Amino acid sequence: MTSVDQSLPRRTAWPKGWLVLSAGLLVLVLLYPTWTDPYSLTVLRDAMIFALFAVSLDYMWGKSGVLSFGHAAFFGIGAYAMPIIGPMVPTANAALVALLAGVAVAGIVAFVVGYFLIFGGVRGPYFTIVTLALCLVAQHIAIGWSEMTGGDAGLIGAPPFGIEMFGLSYLILDSVEQYYLVTAILTATLCVLWLACGGHYGRVLAAIQDNEVRARTLGYNTSGYLLVVFVISCMLAAVAGALYAVVSGYVAPDSVGLLLSTQVVVWVAVGGRGTLLGPVIGAFLAIRLQQVVSSIDFRLWPLVVGAFFVAMVFLFPDGVLPLVRRWMARAWGRLVPSSGAR
Amino acid sequence: MSDTVTLILNALTLISILMLVGLGLAIIFGLMGVINMAHGEFVTFGAFTLSLLQTAGGNYWMALVLAPIVGATAGFVLERSIIQHLYTRPLATILATWGVSLIIQQSLQLILGAGPRQGTGPISGAVNFLGADYPAYRLMLIAFAAVIVAVVIAMFRYTRFGLDLRAVIQDRDMAEALGIDTRRVCTIAFASGAALASIAGVLIAPMTKVIALMGASYLAPSFFVVIVGGAGSIAGVAAGSAVVGGLETVLNYEVPATVSQAIVLITAVVLVRFRPRGLVPS
Repeated sequence: MTSVDQSLPRRTAWPKGWLVLSAGLLVLVLLYPTWTDPYSLTVLRDAMIFALFAVSLDYMWGKSGVLSFGHAAFFGIGAYAMPIIGPMVPTANAALVALLAGVAVAGIVAFVVGYFLIFGGVRGPYFTIVTLALCLVAQHIAIGWSEMTGGDAGLIGAPPFGIEMFGLSYLILDSVEQYYLVTAILTATLCVLWLACGGHYGRVLAAIQDNEVRARTLGYNTSGYLLVVFVISCMLAAVAGALYAVVSGYVAPDSVGLLLSTQVVVWVAVGGRGTLLGPVIGAFLAIRLQQVVSSIDFRLWPLVVGAFFVAMVFLFPDGVLPLVRRWMARAWGRLVPSSGAR
Repeated sequence: MSDTVTLILNALTLISILMLVGLGLAIIFGLMGVINMAHGEFVTFGAFTLSLLQTAGGNYWMALVLAPIVGATAGFVLERSIIQHLYTRPLATILATWGVSLIIQQSLQLILGAGPRQGTGPISGAVNFLGADYPAYRLMLIAFAAVIVAVVIAMFRYTRFGLDLRAVIQDRDMAEALGIDTRRVCTIAFASGAALASIAGVLIAPMTKVIALMGASYLAPSFFVVIVGGAGSIAGVAAGSAVVGGLETVLNYEVPATVSQAIVLITAVVLVRFRPRGLVPS
């Protein structure tokens, strides 16, 4: 038995690099507030919220192969729930209640839509199209239903995060505290998804992505698996939306828009889908690039995104970061020939 | 009575436009399994052709001749440069054509400005049709669209190209084995679909604002048409257009436009559950 095990490629060898990388990143992120200015801190905080959004899509697109083009719809549900439901709750728990409500609504919408689509056998490109339509409708609602959503002008008044229990209350108002809250949520999400997808569950999803018919033949309820992935992924997107509404203090139809849906696909694609940490880095890089490009002319950014999609399909279908990693591995192998021989 | 006639004519207007846009989309999907996210941009091209031509002193009929040429050329270039290389990768096609769509939208906005433009129809005023006063232009639109759809059906049925096309839709490998140049068939079909969408763009332009982003608002409904009706057959497109266009028109009388769109989406999603391959599977 042992000889067979040794002949197989060692599974532990590869993730170790990721572990070091993510630990290093986490230390950097945790120490960042000690030397940076408040503005850069808010930029990174917002980037981490979008990274959480990217991770939610990666869980679905990367791990189970189903691409949604309407993920911003769920981000938007989470975001709009904050200023709409939050003010109804007079205590410091307002943001928590609104967050739970928004995530619940997102989950229900995702369950209903997902049930009909996934159990209807809608897969691949078809699924992408219908979710795109979902996003368009959500955007129309955000603009058109102005009594509720404030229309084009958007809404302000998302309550700050806080907790009130046994007469004690604590509110998170400071941007450094918000930063750590966002870091904690992103880290926790990454860890949970990483652990979950690293084991049996992840391999079932990979099997579904590879060949769904075969996975079903082996006795897995593939539609059920995909529905659960879709619902959880959408709920995570709603969490990201809720965080965004609170820290920015403002929600506009942009946050359900098609461009946001597109951008999140870019973030995941840059980082390499299915890697979970990749989309986080992808989001950081893309948001930084967006700032640079938009400071020249804000109308250039959609052009860059468009060109990126076309280039990606032909030049780096697995994402930018995996490509860079391959290059670096090759360069490393050339520098230190013995490491290749070992 | 006259209200009912108006309602039916309104529905027919929308159905005509959806059919013209959806036909190209459905045939391309049925033929190559390609979902073209840039299809809405062919509609935009058509509308801009009319608007720019009229600004330059041309008239409506010239635009109606020129627009399909513009659309077909754009379609030809897109098919040859990008889509042809991605036949086996449906998801990649979505991303690539979506990128093309963003580039076209934003370039048009940068070059021609974001402000709305106009196009004017060749005829104005209302005529009395079965007791209802109805805009003459819309009646012309319905008639014109009907003629075009009839021509497309005739081509599908009775020409050599139509036969090749149906053969490729049914079984691509077998068609190739029988000596049909499938690449050529696909390119021509793609360009023709783009031309149809451009004609739809010209027809729509006098009734709406001509802006660079207008294609996107026709993309989603025409996808509903394909999803509801089924890809790869004209009957499917007709059925899908009738359901989507009819439903949206009727609902627009009763509820706000946003709600009616949401209901159309829900209907499409529910229909998919029970008829995954469309109302008229090919």
